[in-house]
Amino acid sequence: MRHSLILLLFAMILSTHLIAQEYAVIAHKSTPILTLEQIRAIYLKKLSRINNITMVPLNLKANDPLRQSFEKHVLHMSFQRLKSYWSRQHYLGHRPPVSMQSQESALTFVNNVEGALAYIDAKNINDDLHVIYRWRD
Amino acid sequence: MSLKTLTQRAVASLCLLVSSLLYAESDYTLGEGLQVGDLPVYVGGYFSVDYRNKDDEQRYRIDDIAFLSYGGNNTLSYMLELEYKELYVHTQNGDDSTVERDTHLYVERIHLDYNMNEHFRLRVGKYNSPIGFWNLVHINVLRETTSNPISSYILYPMFTTGANLTYNSFHKAAWGVELIAQRGKAIDNGYNNYAIDRHFGVGVSYEKEDFTCKMSSGYFRKNQPIHDRDIYYALIAAKYETDSYTVQAELGSQRSSKEVTTAYAGYLQGAYYFTERHIGIARLEAYDNRLLDESDRFFILGYTYRPRYPIALKSEYQWHTRYRENQLILSFSVLF
Repeated sequence: MRHSLILLLFAMILSTHLIAQEYAVIAHKSTPILTLEQIRAIYLKKLSRINNITMVPLNLKANDPLRQSFEKHVLHMSFQRLKSYWSRQHYLGHRPPVSMQSQESALTFVNNVEGALAYIDAKNINDDLHVIYRWRD
Repeated sequence: MSLKTLTQRAVASLCLLVSSLLYAESDYTLGEGLQVGDLPVYVGGYFSVDYRNKDDEQRYRIDDIAFLSYGGNNTLSYMLELEYKELYVHTQNGDDSTVERDTHLYVERIHLDYNMNEHFRLRVGKYNSPIGFWNLVHINVLRETTSNPISSYILYPMFTTGANLTYNSFHKAAWGVELIAQRGKAIDNGYNNYAIDRHFGVGVSYEKEDFTCKMSSGYFRKNQPIHDRDIYYALIAAKYETDSYTVQAELGSQRSSKEVTTAYAGYLQGAYYFTERHIGIARLEAYDNRLLDESDRFFILGYTYRPRYPIALKSEYQWHTRYRENQLILSFSVLF
């Protein structure tokens, strides 16, 4: 009985892990390996160039669940905290990242523009993309 | 045109602008400015009105009306901020009533930034002295309370006209070094808390996830000597910020070449976000200004309502150990 319970618990944890959605931050092929802190700094517009390449972070629309997951797991900031952050940045002369309509348009942009970064659903990753960070929801 | 008409028109234009921006059918987001056509140029601004009730005195004030413009690209960018400061101040003290108006349009900031590479940025012009946290974003709508901590305006010059070289490194954590240099006349010195012709400073910052700390130290020279022209300061600051609360502290000291002028000035502040719109603030402050033979310890309790983040309705009450300094402050401010 005890072993069955442990097995059941293990199966539940495993299934939760398996069905958890996986996402990735992708970048143009020319982009070097980045640390999580650097990705965060690029998206918060604290870091604008790496190896003399201008970084172009791309967002999805504000209500996109993938963007919400990115902000929670990668930026570690709530939507409201980001609102206050970008209001302060407006006063300091910085703009938030450009928002794209869809993952497809973000993918096309990343493939064609040096320094571009975006986040997508892991199932959309292909061999042409440079994956620099992965996370699960 | 009379000053009254001018003020009325300025306020009316401002209200019209804010309401147009609020209801504009575009990608405009209140608090993030407006792009000028397709150019990499943005405009915006802010305003603030407040009321203070202190002892027998009541003060009504149009504190700030300011216009911002900035833009550029990732290599070169500019910032311009023009401001009417204390455009209208009505003070009522018993039966005495005074009205003061300052219609001078001040240059609060004007600078050019050159991002040399991923680590270095050079800024030239008039800029907020990068000391502590409060001084970087000190406008009413963006700060937690209507009042500024004493330490943010008695220890160091709030503005510097000259060069600012910044070094930043982002890997496992973020490190930064700031160099401040002014040698010569300042732009719109009248707006600064100290009229200065020299300012040299250095600052170091460290940031890891939600925690940031900074240390700054420097020297400045006052244009007109009161006691002593040559002043030295040092300040340490730390901040821990999460989605639901922020704890922030700054502590500094100042001395001249002859004596300690401010033994200490500092604050410890906590802000708790009950919801995204309702914020509670508590701040403890203390200072010992030996030059003016003035010291105080006081506690501030505040509440801020933000129907949207760039709109703030604030209230605070201050309890002082100094006689007749307790006060109530209310304000309304908008960033657009």
